[in-house]
Amino acid sequence: MLITLLVFLPLFGFLVNGAIALGSKADSKHPPAVLTGAIATLAMAGSFVLALVLNAKLRALGGEPMAIEESLFSWIRLGTHSVDFGFRFDRLSAAFTLVITGVGSLIHLYSIGYMSHDSGVARYFAYLNLFCFMMLNLVLGQTLPHVFLGWEGVGLASYLLIGFWFRDGEKVRAGQKAFVMNRIGDLGFLLAMFVGFHAVGTLDAVALGQSVMAPKLAMLFGVLIFLACTGKSAQLPLFTWLPDAMAGPTPVSALIHAATMVTSGVYLLARLQPVIAGSPATIALIGGVGAATALIAAILACFQSDIKKILAYSTISQLGFMFAACGVGAFESGVFHVMTHAFFKALLFLGAGSVIHALSGNQDIFRMGGLRKSLPFTFWTFSAGWAAILGLPPFSGFFSKDEIIHDALVSRHGSLVLSGVLLFSALLTAFYMTRLYVLVFFGDSRLSAKEKAHVHESPFVMTIPLMVLAGASLAGGWFGAPVELASYEKAVRAPASAHTLVMVLSVAAALIGAFVARARYSRNTDSEPVLDPFRIDRFYGQVFGRGVYRLSDAIGRVLEETLVQGFLRGTAAIVDLSGNLIRTVQTGSAQTYLLMMVLAVAAVVSWIFFGVTGYGKF
Amino acid sequence: MIAFEPWMMLVVSVLIFCIGLFGLIVRKNLLVMLMCVELMLNGANLSFVAFSKMHQLIEGHLSVLFVMTVAAAESAVGLGLVIALFRTLRTVDSDQIQLLRD
Repeated sequence: MLITLLVFLPLFGFLVNGAIALGSKADSKHPPAVLTGAIATLAMAGSFVLALVLNAKLRALGGEPMAIEESLFSWIRLGTHSVDFGFRFDRLSAAFTLVITGVGSLIHLYSIGYMSHDSGVARYFAYLNLFCFMMLNLVLGQTLPHVFLGWEGVGLASYLLIGFWFRDGEKVRAGQKAFVMNRIGDLGFLLAMFVGFHAVGTLDAVALGQSVMAPKLAMLFGVLIFLACTGKSAQLPLFTWLPDAMAGPTPVSALIHAATMVTSGVYLLARLQPVIAGSPATIALIGGVGAATALIAAILACFQSDIKKILAYSTISQLGFMFAACGVGAFESGVFHVMTHAFFKALLFLGAGSVIHALSGNQDIFRMGGLRKSLPFTFWTFSAGWAAILGLPPFSGFFSKDEIIHDALVSRHGSLVLSGVLLFSALLTAFYMTRLYVLVFFGDSRLSAKEKAHVHESPFVMTIPLMVLAGASLAGGWFGAPVELASYEKAVRAPASAHTLVMVLSVAAALIGAFVARARYSRNTDSEPVLDPFRIDRFYGQVFGRGVYRLSDAIGRVLEETLVQGFLRGTAAIVDLSGNLIRTVQTGSAQTYLLMMVLAVAAVVSWIFFGVTGYGKF
Repeated sequence: MIAFEPWMMLVVSVLIFCIGLFGLIVRKNLLVMLMCVELMLNGANLSFVAFSKMHQLIEGHLSVLFVMTVAAAESAVGLGLVIALFRTLRTVDSDQIQLLRD
């Protein structure tokens, strides 16, 4: 019952807050943020406590396979096959559940302060709880259809929250973009379920993951699953929705678009990893796409001036690191980075939110500066996040990023090129993060007079989550990866010297990037134009956007004008023709009618006389 | 000399009826058409009388009297209608009167 309770607590919060949101519309007095926020936060905190209890139980359980299962009911019955609706709590789910509920609770708490001025606060918390409910279904679902339910549910919640301020058309469009881009990936998920069921005959996530498929089917299955991941986890080529998704409230960006939802692709790969890792082509594709995404997103982040967009591109880049890890077979390093990234990226987003909140909506890093003194809590906690994402020891990012670069170098599927690309991406990460850090917190203030008068440190309800997350960003990596996944070939681990070399190199890369950025931006604070060197959005607009318009235009012409109109006109012509034919009979002359009547009567009478009665047959 | 038989009367009645029907269809003058209707009615009357004679029943005669009464009423109404039509349309030619068509 514990898992069920854990999953359904946020749903309860969603229902209560949803009812409040619907009820408060009538008298247009919005309920206090503290009340609705407390309901939502308590629901999440309750889930977190349950997750801790379950985790302790799981560790005490021992044995193989370690999992606590709860089947609720038989969901889909197809002949002899049956798909149960139930939850499975094993080590992998436990790691994700703890991150979701833990970071989720902190972000809920933070939102109470951040959203206190907003009239739609009940609706906001309802959506946030709905998201957490769906996310827990995603990571705790026993079967792939159940995971897919959560997968779609988080997409819906993400759409609702990106377009939360729905009076702004730009934000609504950003939500739609995210939704549509995700649909492309979801198609891959659906098809992968078909392939998996066809190949193995089960939809149970663990059984499917450990099954043996024919090589071609395994490759198809892996590629389709990865397509799903590129949508949800914003990898090439479907990543362009994530920067636009920053239109939502900042805590939403922290929770959904940094810490939890976008990492669900990594969860899916790790969940299905034996079968994914069994296909060399799939795994090479994942590694290549991951590394390319890490690099391209890092380059793009260097040209942004919106604080949230920089963090968004940074998220894409870090997700690329995780997928690169999965792509060399090091799924546990990927999951490790999911966890540390959830801590420090949520921290960075919430810190950015605190800055934006203090400046009443200003997001341009070239119009900030010198906030170190006026926002001390935000500054110190943000510094922890900055050190963690750079990978400076002993912060958490150091351990996980270092692990990934090391695995990329020494794994059987890895290569020097792959680890080199990742190392260079790490250098760029250090560059753009330091650029942001220096421009926001150091130097002279470039605020407008009005902002200067208004600037204030955030209330404790917002700074406490920042401090907790700063602690997690510092210590989150000390205990190593949260799960051990069997597929990684331990045998190929190189001697300790390689590890030391990678460690030194990655720290050096981080320091070089940071010093270059510091040298450039500590004096040079003039606004830089936002560049888009790859023009990916424009390319999609030109090729797919216009292509689809042209295609539908052509189809419209053929179908609408030829077939549909032809059918309609044909029907009309038949009616017209038959009408004209029959019309000639209706002369209007009474005598013609009479003649016809006589003929008809004669015909009927003779039919009765000769045909029916048989009198005529002499 | 052929002896009189009731079926001969039936032949005459059919002839009269058919002449009336033919006239009704081909003649265009409304007055002539009314006269043709009278012919048809009387053809029918003749057959009533013939059957009455054949079967020795009184009902045939009764029907004849009834039909004659109705025919008188019918020609009175029909003539009235023809006069009314002539007053409005200035014609009694049935080809000119095609109000049903429009």
